[in-house]
Amino acid sequence: MKKQTIHILRISLFLLLGVSLSFADQKATEIVRKSNNLLRGKSSFSEATLTVIKPSWKRSITMKIWALEPDYALILITKPARDKGTVTLKRKREVWNWIPTIRRLIKIPPSMMMQPWMGSDFTNDDLVRESSIVEDYTHTIIGRETIGDYTCYKIRFDPKPEAGVVWGKIITWISQKNYLMLKAEYYDEDGQLIKTMTGSKIKTMGGRLLPTRWEVLPHNKPGHKTILQYKSIRFNIKLTPDFFSQQNMKRVR
Amino acid sequence: MVLSLAWKNIWRNKNRSIVVLLAIAFGLWGGLFSGGLMVGMGESMVNTAIDRNLGHVQIHNKKFDETRSIREFIPQGVQIASEIKRLPQVQGVTARTSFTGIASSATSSFPVQINGIVPSEEQTVTKLHDKIIAGSYFGTSYKNAIIIGEKLARRLSLHEHSKIVLGFEGLHGELVNIACRVVGIFHTASSRFDEGNVFLLRDYLQRQLEAPPLIHEIAVRCTNAKEVSRVTAQLKQRYPHLLVQSWKERAPIVAYMSDLMIMYTYFFLVFILLAVLFGITNTMLMSVVDRTRELGMLMAIGMKRIRVFGMILLESLLLSLSGGIIGIILGEITITITQHTGINLSMFEASLSSFGLSAILYPNLPGSMYFMLTLFIVITANIAALLPAWKAIHLEPARAIRTV
Amino acid sequence: MYLNLSWRNIWRNKKRTLIALASVFFAVITAVTTRSMQLGSYAYMIRSTAHFYNGYLQIQHPGYWENRSLDNTFNQDSIAYTALLDVNHVESCAPRLESFALISFGTTTRVGEVVGIVPHMEDQATNLASRLVQGSYLTADDRAVLISQGLARMLKVAPGDSLVIYGQAYQGQIAAGLYPVKGIIKYPIRELNNMMLYLPLKAAQDLFLTGNRLTSIAIMIDDNRHLDGVKRTLRTILPAHYALLDWKAMLPELHQDIQFDNVSGMIMLAILYVVIAFGIFGTIIMMINERVKEFGILIAVGMKKIRLLLVTFWEILFISFLGALAGMAGATPVVWYFHLHPIRMTGEAAHTFEMLGIEPIFSFSTDPYIFLNQALIVFLIAFATFIYPIIFIRRLDPSRAIRS
Repeated sequence: MKKQTIHILRISLFLLLGVSLSFADQKATEIVRKSNNLLRGKSSFSEATLTVIKPSWKRSITMKIWALEPDYALILITKPARDKGTVTLKRKREVWNWIPTIRRLIKIPPSMMMQPWMGSDFTNDDLVRESSIVEDYTHTIIGRETIGDYTCYKIRFDPKPEAGVVWGKIITWISQKNYLMLKAEYYDEDGQLIKTMTGSKIKTMGGRLLPTRWEVLPHNKPGHKTILQYKSIRFNIKLTPDFFSQQNMKRVR
Repeated sequence: MVLSLAWKNIWRNKNRSIVVLLAIAFGLWGGLFSGGLMVGMGESMVNTAIDRNLGHVQIHNKKFDETRSIREFIPQGVQIASEIKRLPQVQGVTARTSFTGIASSATSSFPVQINGIVPSEEQTVTKLHDKIIAGSYFGTSYKNAIIIGEKLARRLSLHEHSKIVLGFEGLHGELVNIACRVVGIFHTASSRFDEGNVFLLRDYLQRQLEAPPLIHEIAVRCTNAKEVSRVTAQLKQRYPHLLVQSWKERAPIVAYMSDLMIMYTYFFLVFILLAVLFGITNTMLMSVVDRTRELGMLMAIGMKRIRVFGMILLESLLLSLSGGIIGIILGEITITITQHTGINLSMFEASLSSFGLSAILYPNLPGSMYFMLTLFIVITANIAALLPAWKAIHLEPARAIRTV
Repeated sequence: MYLNLSWRNIWRNKKRTLIALASVFFAVITAVTTRSMQLGSYAYMIRSTAHFYNGYLQIQHPGYWENRSLDNTFNQDSIAYTALLDVNHVESCAPRLESFALISFGTTTRVGEVVGIVPHMEDQATNLASRLVQGSYLTADDRAVLISQGLARMLKVAPGDSLVIYGQAYQGQIAAGLYPVKGIIKYPIRELNNMMLYLPLKAAQDLFLTGNRLTSIAIMIDDNRHLDGVKRTLRTILPAHYALLDWKAMLPELHQDIQFDNVSGMIMLAILYVVIAFGIFGTIIMMINERVKEFGILIAVGMKKIRLLLVTFWEILFISFLGALAGMAGATPVVWYFHLHPIRMTGEAAHTFEMLGIEPIFSFSTDPYIFLNQALIVFLIAFATFIYPIIFIRRLDPSRAIRS
C-alpha cells in the first residue's frame, strides 16, 4: 500500500477523515477532499501547542513545524525548557530525534513506531503514516446538522475491506460553507464510539479560514484528552528537501 | 532335588507364599507403572511445547534472533523446506514468514510476533489447531484470515469476526499496515504465547509485502522423538550457514522442567525398590522365623547348611520369578490401558482444567525399561532373601526343634 | 486389662514383633524420603526461578502488572526496607524502577529493558554480581550501566563506551541520557541476555524523572512453604491498595508445571503406598497365622472371640504406632543428611541445568509437616491390616486350630 507522508496538521485529519475517491458518493468525496485540502499546502510553517491531559497529570509542548509535502517534516520543540531544542525529523518513512541535552541523534526503530510521540496520544507512526484517508474509505452523506453557527454535511466513512485501518466507521461533520471539519466520531466495528475529535476556534490563518483548535477525546479512557492549538500557519513558503537534514536538526531555531 | 524341595516348600504354606508373591508382583507393577508415568509425564511436558509451536527442530537465519526483523530471512527458504521434507525421518515441515510487529484494534495495540503460515503444512508439525476455542482454524474463505490467542483478544477487545490491524516494517523500511479478519481464537497452556503470537495465511502476507515468499523460520517434526538428535546433526551439517537447533537448544527451559521431573522420578524408582526390598526381607524373615522348627529339624537330620541357604535363596528366586511374571503382566495391562485412555489429572486438581488437553497424562514405557526393571526386582528379591537365609542357617538345630 | 495383655503379647515374641515394627519403620522412612524429595524438588525449582529475577513476591502499584507504564509507580518512601527485611522468613528485597527504552550506540539502536537497582540489595537477592563477565559491578552513586552480553554484542559496545538511553519518562516527559558501560553481564537465557540494562536506582530515577518512585520491590524468602505466611504479614505493613503478587501469579507456567507434576507425583506416591501396604500386610498376616494354635487354645478355654480381637487390635495399634514413630525418628537423619549433602545429578539432565546456570542437585525438603503426614499415612495403612485378624479370628475353629 503506497501512502503519502503526513503533515502535523494532517495528523488531526488522519484521525478523522478519509478522502475517498470511490464512486459511492462523488459529492461526498468532493466535500471531504475540499475540507482536506484546506489544511494542505505544498509547504507550510506553523506554530502550535500540544496539550496532553491525563487523570493524574497535564503537559504542554509548544513547537514550530516545517513541512514539505509529501515526504518531509521537521518539528522543533520550543517549550517547556527541559525539552527545548528537541527536534523530530521525518524523511519519507524514517523518523529521527535530535536530543540536545545529550547531543545525540537517534533513529526510531520500527518497534517503537507505535510508542507515543513526546508523551502525547499521537504515536510516531501517526507522524509518518501515509494518508490512508484517501484510499481507504468510501463515504456517503447521511444528513445535515448544525454545529455552533455552521450547517454541516454529516458524512459517513466506511473502510474498504482490505484497508489497514482499525475503525469500523467514522462520522464527520463538515460545514457546507468553507468546508470546515468541525467534528468527527470514530467507531469500532461493533458500533462503539471510541473517540471524538472536534475542531473549533475558526480563524483565518495563512490566508485560509480554518479550525485552529483540535481536541481529541477518547471515550474508553476517562480523564484523557489531547488538544492541539495552532498559533500561526503560513502556506507555500520557500522550502527545499535540503532543509530537512540531520545537520539542520542541530541548527534550527 | 533341592529345586523340587524348594518348590514344594513354597506351596506348603500357601498363604505365606502367596503374600510374598504378591508383594513382589505389586512391587514390580509399582515400579513399571511409575516408570510409565514418569516417561509419560516427561514427554507430556515436552510435547506441550513442541506441539504448540516449537516442533522438533527449528532453522533460522543466524541473525534472526537479534531483531526478528523481516530482513533476516532464510535464503531459498521454501526450497530448503521441501528438501528437508524429503528426508525419511521427517514427518512434516512448515516454512513460516515470521517477524515482529504491532497488532492494533480500535481500543489498544500490543507488540506481537507475526507468523505467516500455510495451514495444511503447519498442521503436520504443530497441534495449534486443537487449541481453537472460538471460530475455526482457517476454515473460512477470508483471504486475510488470522487466528489470535485468547489473551491478546482480551487485551485488544477482539472477538471472532473482529478486524485486527497489523503494523510492521517492510523490506525497504517502509511501514506497512494490513487489516485481517479474526476467524479463530486459540488458548494454549502458555498465556504468554497466546498474547504474543498471531497466525495468518502466508500467501496473503506475501502479497501484501509484494515480495516472493520470505521464510524466516522452518520448523520440522520428526517421525519419532528419538530421531531428533540425528536429524538435527544432519541438518546442521547440510546447512552450515543457517542456525539449526533442536527444540532443546531452542528452548532449554522446556528441557529443564522435563529433565528435572524425569531425574527425580528415576530417584523415585530407587525408593520403590527399597520399599520392595524391605517388604520382601520382612516377609521372608517372618517366613524363616515361622519355620524355625522345621529348618532346625532339617539341619539336625543332616542337611548341610549351605544347602539350607541355597534352598531359601531358591525359594526366593522362584517366588520372585513367579511374582515377577504376574507383575509384568499387571504392569503391561495397566500401562497399555492408560496409554490409550490417558489419565485425566484435572480430576485430582481442579486448577489444571484450564490446561485443556495437556492435563491428560499418557503413561508410556519403552521395552528396554521393562527388562531392566524386572531384572532389578528379581535381584532385589534375592538380596532381600540373603538376610533371612543367613538367619536360617544360623539357627541352632537343637534349640530350633524345641521351639513351639 | 487388654492393653496390658496386648503389650505383653507383643514383647513375648520379640523377633516377630521387631520384624513387624521394622516393616512399618522402613515404610515410613521410604515414604518420608520420597515425599521430601518431591517437595524439595519443587521448592528448588521455585527458588531457582525466583532468584533469577522475579522474586517470590513483588510489591507493585495496583495497575502496574497489566500496564507497565511509569505512571503506575509508587512512592518508595511509603515502605521502609528494614520493615520488609524484619518480616520472618524474608531473606532479601530488591527495589526496582524499570521501563523499556531505546538503547543506542553509534548508528545502532535497540530496544532494551532498563532497570534501576540498589546494587547491593539486587545482588543479595539475585546474585547479579556473579553474572559479571567483563568490567565491574555498580555502586549506588554510579552514573553508569551494566549491559547484558547479547545487547552489548548487538550494539558493539565494550566497558568504557558510552551509550544513549532514550525513551518515555514519567508523566509524558522524555527520558534521555548518556551513560558509560561499567560492566557486561551474561544471562543463560537468550531473551534476557538480549535486553537487560542495569542502572543505579538514583540514576534511573533521574533519567525517568520519577523522583522517589519505584515500579516494584522483589522479595526473596527462605522457603516456599512460608509464602502464605509472609504474604499475610506483608499485607499488614503495606498500604492497603498496593498490589502484592506472588510467583504463582507472575509465573503461571511454572505454577502449572509444578501442579501437573505434583498430581502425577501423588499418583506415584500412591503406588508406593500400595507396595508398602503389601510389605506390611504380608508381615502381619504371617504374624497372625503362626499364632493359630495359641488363639485356638485361648478360645477353647473360654476367651470370647471379640475379646481376642480387641487384644489383637491393641497389638496392631502399638506396632503401627511405634513403627511410625520410630520411622519418623529414623527418617530425620536420612533427610537431613541429603539436605546438607545434596546428591549431584549427572548426564544430560545435569547439562540442561548447568545451561541455565542452576546447580544440578537433588534437593530434599525438611518441612516437618512431611514427616508427620507420611508417618500418619503409613500408620493408617499398617493399622488397616487389622482387617486380616478380624477375618481370621472370626473364621477360627478352635479345635482345628489346636490340632494344626
